[in-house]
Amino acid sequence: MGLARTLFMRALTLITVLVLVIFFMVLVLGATGTSDKILQAMVNEEIMMLRQSLAKTIKDPQELERVINIRKQELTEFYGLTKPWYVRLPDMAWRVLTLELGKARTLKTFAGGNKVSDIVMERLTNTIILVTSATVISAIVGLVLGVRIATRVGGILDRLSSYFSAISYAIPTWWIGIILILVFAFLLRLFPFGGLYSTPPPSDPYMKFLDIIWHAVLPVTTLVIASIGVWIYTTRTIVLNTAQEDFVNAARARGLPEELVRRRYIMRVAAPPILTNVILGLATSISGAILTETVFNWPGLGRLFYDAVLVMDEVVVIALTYIFTLVYVVARFLLEVLYVILDPRVRY
Amino acid sequence: MSTRFKEAFQEFWRLNVSKIGVVFLTVLVILSIYVVVSYPLDFGVRYWNNPLYWADYPKSAPPSWVNYFSNEKIPEHYTFSSIKPSNTLLTESGIRLIYLFKLDFQADKTPTFLSLTVKNVTYYDKPVIIRLNVTRPDGKNIELYRYTVPAPYVDESPPYKRFYDQSKRISLTGDLSVASILARFLSREYNVTIKPSEVNSIGQHKIIFSIPKGDTQFTVLKGDYTFYIIVDTYDSRDSVGEVKLVVGGDVYGFMGTDSLGRDLSVGLLFGFPIALFIGIVTSTITTLLGAGLGIMGGYIGGKLDEVIQRTADFVNNIPLLPLLIFLAFILGQNLWIIVFLLVVFGWPTLTIIVRSMVLQLKSGQFIEAAIAIGAPRWWIMFRHIFPQVAPFIFAQLIFFTPTFILLEAALSFLGLGDPTMPTWGQILEYGFRSGGIYVGLWWWIIPPGLLIIWTAITFVLIALGMEPVVNPRLRRMK
Repeated sequence: MGLARTLFMRALTLITVLVLVIFFMVLVLGATGTSDKILQAMVNEEIMMLRQSLAKTIKDPQELERVINIRKQELTEFYGLTKPWYVRLPDMAWRVLTLELGKARTLKTFAGGNKVSDIVMERLTNTIILVTSATVISAIVGLVLGVRIATRVGGILDRLSSYFSAISYAIPTWWIGIILILVFAFLLRLFPFGGLYSTPPPSDPYMKFLDIIWHAVLPVTTLVIASIGVWIYTTRTIVLNTAQEDFVNAARARGLPEELVRRRYIMRVAAPPILTNVILGLATSISGAILTETVFNWPGLGRLFYDAVLVMDEVVVIALTYIFTLVYVVARFLLEVLYVILDPRVRY
Repeated sequence: MSTRFKEAFQEFWRLNVSKIGVVFLTVLVILSIYVVVSYPLDFGVRYWNNPLYWADYPKSAPPSWVNYFSNEKIPEHYTFSSIKPSNTLLTESGIRLIYLFKLDFQADKTPTFLSLTVKNVTYYDKPVIIRLNVTRPDGKNIELYRYTVPAPYVDESPPYKRFYDQSKRISLTGDLSVASILARFLSREYNVTIKPSEVNSIGQHKIIFSIPKGDTQFTVLKGDYTFYIIVDTYDSRDSVGEVKLVVGGDVYGFMGTDSLGRDLSVGLLFGFPIALFIGIVTSTITTLLGAGLGIMGGYIGGKLDEVIQRTADFVNNIPLLPLLIFLAFILGQNLWIIVFLLVVFGWPTLTIIVRSMVLQLKSGQFIEAAIAIGAPRWWIMFRHIFPQVAPFIFAQLIFFTPTFILLEAALSFLGLGDPTMPTWGQILEYGFRSGGIYVGLWWWIIPPGLLIIWTAITFVLIALGMEPVVNPRLRRMK
């Protein structure tokens, strides 16, 4: 069972990465005293609720104070605030892992709740919609153009695309977004400035769907512009290198039709390295999503990150750092499964 | 060695991209040197982030050259200041200092504000009285303002010094006494009855620079305005350090201003040395660290190599930006912390590549020879292996630079830049956060982005030019 073993090893590596990142985060949180602050906030929150509920039953203020103080001591003990931070490391790590980070200070869910895990989870889908559609579009356009250019090396399209990919390496994604807003939203009034849908959203589900697409055009375009250069360039280079191999020449010499040569002999071999490049670019597309969502006020994780930094909501920042790493690890694992399927050599 | 270097340089210089890159870099360096020499070190705190300093600048004003492209002429920004009076008169009670400012006003819109500032006033006997009068192109004269410098405090002895630490800025726009003077002026000269509060909401500066048309309409009055600042002193030793009159425009300078009135050209210039510093310093440290670890790991091998490889693998496998945001957020926003973080996350890529190059070199005969003569390990690494990979490492140094410039800009844009010094990313961030893009303040949004791209492209071009030097296989491709 080479396949299962390979995948198991991959999963293990990625899980190690996740665990190490969490450990590292918790270490930083502990050493800077941030974890104390978070736990203290959780204690205060509970005490405040207790005070409100007890105030109705216990009328004597001194008695109330005494009861609350006892409870406060218990809670401080329970959260381990009496112990030094490094003893609490595993506990804090578990909190991050399960998103049991208490309540956000100012940020809220769309319904108005303030539990960190709820806030984060409801935005996850929006980010996935944005990144996935941008990646699919870039992949299709990049592959088609890349393969086409590889057959006409040195042509105008080839030179244009190599200039473009060099330049796109130097352009910040988010600035492209800002320029698109300036041109298409402010100047031409063709697309909205940002957001997920109009306010109020259309009640008809079909219209609502169209509304979301209308709002997604500019952010998706931004992400596509940012990543397509690399897609085209890598596809072109890898296909070109493969096309010069002896076995391709041999296939042509045998008189196989060009279409078959391209599909079975070139693409089949070129696919895994192209995928490798996609895997390597995954981290970049996550960064791109954070910035693009911020620019377009797209209610996903990236925009939430920006808002959390803006209002200094530590717990949300921690939760998001973890979730982004998790999303990265999961996406990477899925791609590597695909890689193993595409490239049989990896199994042994 | 030197001929090798010369050849490499010739190879590099042959390409056009190299020439453009070097020219760009020269301009960047010259501008940076200019800024480092001429700007104070605490520019960010003392000037850029100090709203008081920018009080007399127009807010959200486009660059003044937009006037060449528009049919309607937008008023320019005028600042008049003088340390010496244009005239001194001897009156019965003392000496009268007169400062005279002339303005040929030809714009199609009225100015945006009017303010008077006095600095370093000293008096010995009675408090000095400062007045502001204006004569308009139609010959009408308005006595706009009268201000008596604060009287001596209890126990204070002459000379009485006023406005030395902080100059006195009087905004005529929004001043109710000016409003009632203007209301009286309008009813006396034009029979227009208007309440002082209405004058205040229309804007004092507007009334001064226009004539009423009907009861609520005003048309701009073009022509020569003369402003008199009259200071009555009562002792021959009394003095005024400086008077300044600002007629606020709606366009400013070469690059315009932001919503706090900050001159964007000043802030954008300051961004040059910072961008270069972050890019080059971070890239240099990262490359040295990455290459050093790669050479050591590759040549020494064993446990050390294993540890380096595992660490590199780990760092290489984490999504960079989220963790950078997390750390910059928790550890604080400081230029050095940002540089440190970029280095910590930047080194692995190079380590992995350099290691594999070293593994190939290691079995080379010249290394075996060196070992045979008994050269120590560090000597071999430094004198035999390093020179072999040096060109590649140098090319990577250039190639990494734009990445770091863009990453710092991204962090700044997310509000995690060092608040004590303005960078292009921060200027963009403020433009974005304060809604500048939604009202189309293009002069605030486009230039910082173009400067980031320009700086990044410079290094991309040089890296492209170096490719054939580093990778000889590409040399004959044309």
